[in-house]
Amino acid sequence: MATTTDAGLGERDTTGSPRSRLLGIATLIAVAILGVLAFALTEPDVRIHPETGEEFGQFDAVRMLYVHVPLVIVTYLSYGICAVASIGVLVKRTPWWDVTAHTAAEIGTIFCGLVLVTGSIWGRPVWNTWWEWGDVRLMTTLVLFLMFTGYLALRRITEDPRRQARRAAVVALVAVLDIPLVNRSVEWWENRTLHQRSTLGELKIEDLTLFTLFFGFVTAGLVLAWLFLHRFRVGWLERAAIDHGVAAAIVERQSETSDAEVRRSVGEQPEGPEEGLVP
Amino acid sequence: MVPEPVDGPNGAPNDESDLQVFDLTPAPTRPERIRRRPAAMAAVAILLVALVFVLLRTLGDASLFFYEVSEAVERRSELADSRFRVVGTPQPGLVEIDVDGEPAVVFTLCAGDVLADVAHLGDPAELFQPGVPVVLQGGWVAGPAPGVADLWSPAADGWHLRTDHMVVKHDNDYRGDGAELAPCGDQASIG
Repeated sequence: MATTTDAGLGERDTTGSPRSRLLGIATLIAVAILGVLAFALTEPDVRIHPETGEEFGQFDAVRMLYVHVPLVIVTYLSYGICAVASIGVLVKRTPWWDVTAHTAAEIGTIFCGLVLVTGSIWGRPVWNTWWEWGDVRLMTTLVLFLMFTGYLALRRITEDPRRQARRAAVVALVAVLDIPLVNRSVEWWENRTLHQRSTLGELKIEDLTLFTLFFGFVTAGLVLAWLFLHRFRVGWLERAAIDHGVAAAIVERQSETSDAEVRRSVGEQPEGPEEGLVP
Repeated sequence: MVPEPVDGPNGAPNDESDLQVFDLTPAPTRPERIRRRPAAMAAVAILLVALVFVLLRTLGDASLFFYEVSEAVERRSELADSRFRVVGTPQPGLVEIDVDGEPAVVFTLCAGDVLADVAHLGDPAELFQPGVPVVLQGGWVAGPAPGVADLWSPAADGWHLRTDHMVVKHDNDYRGDGAELAPCGDQASIG
């Protein structure tokens, strides 16, 4: 973790605080409870076929529901925050908005990557494929992931923070337009996706399954909040360290040039004798 | 950089030419040189290529959207020589048989009141079950499917679908035993 002393911001050597530690503990407890609910207490998806009497369903693979779907929601949320902050960057032009946008994009991209991975792991036993080219929801999600990875790469092209912030904000606002496509694709292009239609919208989930899914949303939200808090603080310290470095360089440069040298360079007589110049 | 002083006696510029050399008129600032990072530029270029690849791949598959069985039957003459995807619900009854020396499963797919017999080469999907919609990839073949006589209620219309790729399109119902199984003819609840 960055040392804040270097940035002249005090003696703390961590981005943590008593409240953030509390949040971290709550997050860890929530993850543990979710694990118990998802992998031990909820039932596998097993149904009996009314005509053949055979068992069918998703069996234990259904447990991925409690991880995959909450990850999708926090991905949308992160990118939504990034979009709002990007508008802030373009309107207010302050570093606070830029650090917020950068933080949200970075965390959102991690979540989006996890969505693709968990979806693939879920798809193998249930769909019979790891990946299906042409599935409109998979493709729009992959495009979202690639665009925000590009956003993060673009931020590193130039060292000028203002230029970086403005360009990235525009890319984020374009990339975020993909989210409605991802979300509504199963309704708009029903015959071009293996994904199911909305379960919550049609209330085809109940009891402990529903509770566990909602608990997954809360847990993912806590993880997002904890990551966001720390990454934002790191980003803010990075910005402070850059500003501090620039200020220190100016002071150092000024100290290299004595007042007498400056006066002589403009044709004025130095006010007093200077060491090394006195005959 | 501090300019090199050009001094006369008493540190003052000594003549007019010196004054010209030591020009204190503020010069326009040079535009700031933008430092770019080649590795980051390469990463952006790679991501752009990946994005274009994904879009091309998606557009390339545009012709392979899912036909419902009823639509595939209706457009049979048009689709006769082409490879396409078809979605439908397998009916109870399954025959395991060898087709052209390859293991295959033969069953009947339905959508609405329309039926189509299928000979699927290779192993079916792990969760393949009657009543659970599947997406199959293949094409129409003239003639009845091998072993069709052993099916419960075959289409037996002189054609069958010869497929080699099967994925399951599960529904959106997570109510366990309370879940409704999509009957043949009710495609609205297919997830």
